[in-house]
Amino acid sequence: MKAAQFAYHEPSTVEEAVDLLETLDDPTLLAGGQSLVPTMRFRLSQPDDVVDINGVEELDYLEEDGDQLRIGALVRHADVEDSPLIDESYGSFADAAPLIGDPQIRNQGTVVGSVAQADPKGDWGSVLIAHEGEVVARGLDGERTIAAEDLFLFPYETDLRPGELITELRVPVSGDDEGSAYHKLKRKVGDYAMVAVAARVELDGETIADAGIALTGVDITNLGVPDAADHLAGAVPSGDLFREAGEIAAENSNPEGDEHGSAAYKENMVRVLTQRALADAFERAREDGPAGSYGTEQLTVGD
Amino acid sequence: MTEKTIAVTVNGTARELTVEPRKLLVHAIREDLNLTGTHIGCDTGNCGACTVYKDGQAVKSCLQFAVQADGSDVTTVEGMEELPEAGMGESDLHPIQEGFKQMHGLQCGFCTPGMIMAGKALLEDNDDPTDEEVRENISGNLCRCTGYQNIVKSIQYASDVYNDREPPTSPVEHEDASVETAADGGEYASGGGEPATDGGCDCTGKPGLSIDYPTGGDDR
Repeated sequence: MKAAQFAYHEPSTVEEAVDLLETLDDPTLLAGGQSLVPTMRFRLSQPDDVVDINGVEELDYLEEDGDQLRIGALVRHADVEDSPLIDESYGSFADAAPLIGDPQIRNQGTVVGSVAQADPKGDWGSVLIAHEGEVVARGLDGERTIAAEDLFLFPYETDLRPGELITELRVPVSGDDEGSAYHKLKRKVGDYAMVAVAARVELDGETIADAGIALTGVDITNLGVPDAADHLAGAVPSGDLFREAGEIAAENSNPEGDEHGSAAYKENMVRVLTQRALADAFERAREDGPAGSYGTEQLTVGD
Repeated sequence: MTEKTIAVTVNGTARELTVEPRKLLVHAIREDLNLTGTHIGCDTGNCGACTVYKDGQAVKSCLQFAVQADGSDVTTVEGMEELPEAGMGESDLHPIQEGFKQMHGLQCGFCTPGMIMAGKALLEDNDDPTDEEVRENISGNLCRCTGYQNIVKSIQYASDVYNDREPPTSPVEHEDASVETAADGGEYASGGGEPATDGGCDCTGKPGLSIDYPTGGDDR
């Protein structure tokens, strides 16, 4: 089936893109297009105007800048997967990237596009929340930042206003004493998460100074679990502590049973994956080597 | 609706196409350029049969509009024999194509063009992949016949050719496949010397399957 007809716009600067978004009647942004193109061709979405931002070269960067890691709107999943910077210090990003879709999808799909899509089973939202990240939204009235925690409202619905464009994601630079991990349960290669957990741990000597936990696929949006993070902060890391955090995360999750697993099963997997992600995050915070070289195996159903 | 003229280099030849913005890249390749080796399997981005090699990467040509390929360099399965690596093995084929042929990497042949293009992208980055790396790399390509074992071997065959190693011997009989009498007194169809393991399309993207003929316009 073909997409409905639309007018195609190719801005080359953020300013032009924002201007188009503001002036056109029913515009849709196209970046990686790996979700948008199929929804358009099945006519689940029939925008009059498509604004393709792939030519906006100023949005193609993945870098540390001062105390922030910045990921521009044209950074593909594969760019994150291949980035030495990510592999060195951002374990949860390094874990999540290669588990998204398949190689062809990762070559095209963008991190920011995935966040803007706000699929409750999307991976990057949880990673962003666990890192206490934010998105930068540009509109005609200028720029504002939205904390990841406040971004996701409903499935496929964010706090973005009409005419706004996410130009970048930001997370605080990961220090030597910080580690993070992402554990994802899926049925097979290429699937969305049935359940996934992002965990981040920052150590201060023997104790945890700060932590972040966020869940994928077990609520109507990506879900931060501040109760679990609070429980970890100030405590001495141990298997028992991570088990307790897992219990709290499971209690805070609201999974729905479906053909792939019951709600009770998914809740139990939140508990298990939270422990695993915390164990990896802690290990990575303690060691100096690249994040990618530590960590337990990812789970696939049937393992 | 306004059409747009795009310039794309396809298999080394500069082409100009005038397309509606809503036309998918795979439709432009198959219908406007008549290059029907690139297949449409699922229409949803799952199966990978439409994989092409675009600007140094494997992409699914059913997941982007043709207008997005403006200025790009695209290689399809039909272009594989024109690449510098073609002929490195024992035939004029690209080593990956030769691998599929020698290692029995295809049965119905439907997924083969996509598998070959995914293999091309992998070997471009890493010409000596492990079994696991090959499997990861073709994880976006579905095959319903082979069980993947021989597809992995086919890509590794090409890797052997790239690295001047002796590739494994083909498990397929290629020589002297003359007409044989079957048990029921009939004849096996064996034609001119090669078993028809691949729907007659011998990994090159030339028409063999019914899908390999253009549908004749925009009436889908």
